[in-house]
Amino acid sequence: MTTEAVRVEGVSKVFDPDIQALTDVSLTVEQGEFLVVIGLSGSGKSTLLRCINRLIDPTAGRIWLFGEEITAAEGARLRALRTQIGMIFQQFNLVRRHTVMSNVLSGGLGRASLFGSLLMRYPEEERRRAVAALERVGLGGRGGSRADRLSGGQQQRVAVARALMQQPKLILADEPVASLDPALRHSVMRHIESLNRDEGMTVVCTLHDVDLVQRYATRLVALRDGKLVYEGGPSDFDADTFRDIYGADAEPATDMLLGTEGATP
Amino acid sequence: MRRLKGLVVDWVLLTLFLLMVEFLALSFSGSRGPTGLLVTPEETLDLLHYGWCAALGLLVAIAWQSLRGVRRESPGHALIFGEETDEAIPWTHTLRGWFTALLIELTFLTGWLITEVQLFDFLTQFNKATDIVRGLVAENVFALFLRNAGEVPAQSADVLHQGLVLLVQTIFLAFMATAFAIPVAFAMSFFAARNLTRTTSLSRWMYTLVRAVMNITRSVEPLVWALIFISWVGIGPFAGVLALWVHSVAALVKLYSEQIESIDHGPVEAITATGASTLQVLRYGVVPQVIPPFLSFTIYRWDINVRMSTIIGFVGGGGIGYILKPRVDLGQWGEVGTLVILIALTVWAMDIISAKIRERIV
Ligand SMILES: Nc1ncnc2c1ncn2[C@@H]1O[C@H](COP(=O)(O)OP(=O)(O)OP(=O)(O)O)[C@@H](O)[C@H]1O
Ligand SMILES: [Mg+2]
Repeated sequence: MTTEAVRVEGVSKVFDPDIQALTDVSLTVEQGEFLVVIGLSGSGKSTLLRCINRLIDPTAGRIWLFGEEITAAEGARLRALRTQIGMIFQQFNLVRRHTVMSNVLSGGLGRASLFGSLLMRYPEEERRRAVAALERVGLGGRGGSRADRLSGGQQQRVAVARALMQQPKLILADEPVASLDPALRHSVMRHIESLNRDEGMTVVCTLHDVDLVQRYATRLVALRDGKLVYEGGPSDFDADTFRDIYGADAEPATDMLLGTEGATP
Repeated sequence: MRRLKGLVVDWVLLTLFLLMVEFLALSFSGSRGPTGLLVTPEETLDLLHYGWCAALGLLVAIAWQSLRGVRRESPGHALIFGEETDEAIPWTHTLRGWFTALLIELTFLTGWLITEVQLFDFLTQFNKATDIVRGLVAENVFALFLRNAGEVPAQSADVLHQGLVLLVQTIFLAFMATAFAIPVAFAMSFFAARNLTRTTSLSRWMYTLVRAVMNITRSVEPLVWALIFISWVGIGPFAGVLALWVHSVAALVKLYSEQIESIDHGPVEAITATGASTLQVLRYGVVPQVIPPFLSFTIYRWDINVRMSTIIGFVGGGGIGYILKPRVDLGQWGEVGTLVILIALTVWAMDIISAKIRERIV
């Protein structure tokens, strides 16, 4: 019995026309980890995350999910593997014109009956689960609101509830708090942390903020120009490694934000 | 490969350029026709040396592509490779700028001759049309006053009555054509959207096929469709419904699919990531985003169909055009005027209503 959640082996991605987004990336994520991926803007973090659930097909390399190779899966098999991976996005990506409830319910689409879900009918049990998920992220009673009426922080919590509804074993979070007010960041991050601690879900999360990295990560990897340049615990992450990753001009002490335009040489 | 494409573009442009130069030279040389213009297409074709123009065009195109200093400036190169210079050079400083300007001038001059523009007649001969205009406007205004005096001409009242009945038919004809078009266009538009048809080679084929069929369908005039369907289902409003239906499907597929292409891809990614199937992704990720613009397009299309259905009636496709046509042929301008006013009022009302509804939706 293996304990690895994700194994990435020699993954490269070249976008048309000739943009090398990832170069030969290999890494392993153990079950139960909270792995944070950092790197400058354009270093390939989002691309790496999207390769793991095959929203993007890697150009080369292989990826395993709980021992099964997802890069070899197609059709129904691929969809079945995807139900085990929840995803949270920087821009929330809710269905804006649908209600909060409907958005949370859509997390369970992978197991819903095709016909019922097209008519947006769900079994009672699914509805109960969705209500519970909403309550858990502190949005009980807001199920009837239209998704785009909510504030950014609330929308991201709906997205967390959607992931919770999906009951995946792995969560991919791509800059989940980058477009939120700094004061709201911890509220969303704590919910993601709770998925990791209380539900035992493995989390792979990209972040820009030193604070958040040191507070939530159990392990850290860094990308630079599409290559993996650092792997370690959050506490080994000192000023020197910081400059390695972000370039000599970056200022960790004066500026708490990493990786935004200001840090680019 | 791309250089070859650029060369072909240059070739076509230069050949057109040379052909137009020759045409203009011939027209103004005065050797042909009483006015010095070429009159029939045959005469023009007889005189033009298209073979030579094409050959010379190719020669110049090759020269342009191979001369170091100006290669970048050839229009074909610019179209295929895109602009490569950073600073904007005014067009008067480049060969391409001059070439393009000249080409536009030439096209305008040639067009002037080919469409036989006669400014003089247009500005001085209005009196020849006054009869018609008087019939269209004056008699109807007159009739209003007569009616006040209790003297409605029997014939005119008859046309008004018939016109109103057929107007109702026209509106319903347009409505049915639109209603039948919605489900077909809706289903097909997903295959005609580039962003949804990239994944498998089957879907790429469907995209090409649907696009091609729709483009052909759209480029055939509704009038021609009406003639086809009249011989298919017989003269009457149903032939008109079918004609407008076909044309509406093609037009709506284009509008719908362009809307689908401009959606926010985020929800599509999010729903795909939950492990949903293709249909579920469309239902949750795409459809909610496109419903309001679809409704707006559809109402606009109904509006267009009302306008088109009057013309459809000219050839026997039902609607008000059916009684308009014989009166135009017989020159009964008073009655034509009555009908035209009816149509204008309807179109105007439709326009206002559809604008109001669309305002609400979006
Ligand atoms: N769909 C795409 N087509 C073409 N190029 C792409 C595409 N997606 C990403 N890229 C390119 O790949 C590189 C890596 O992009 P990616 O989005 O993975 O970076 P990132 O680390 O997530 O950056 P950010 O912090 O800004 O989100 C960039 O150079 C980007 O321009
Ligand atoms: Mg990113």
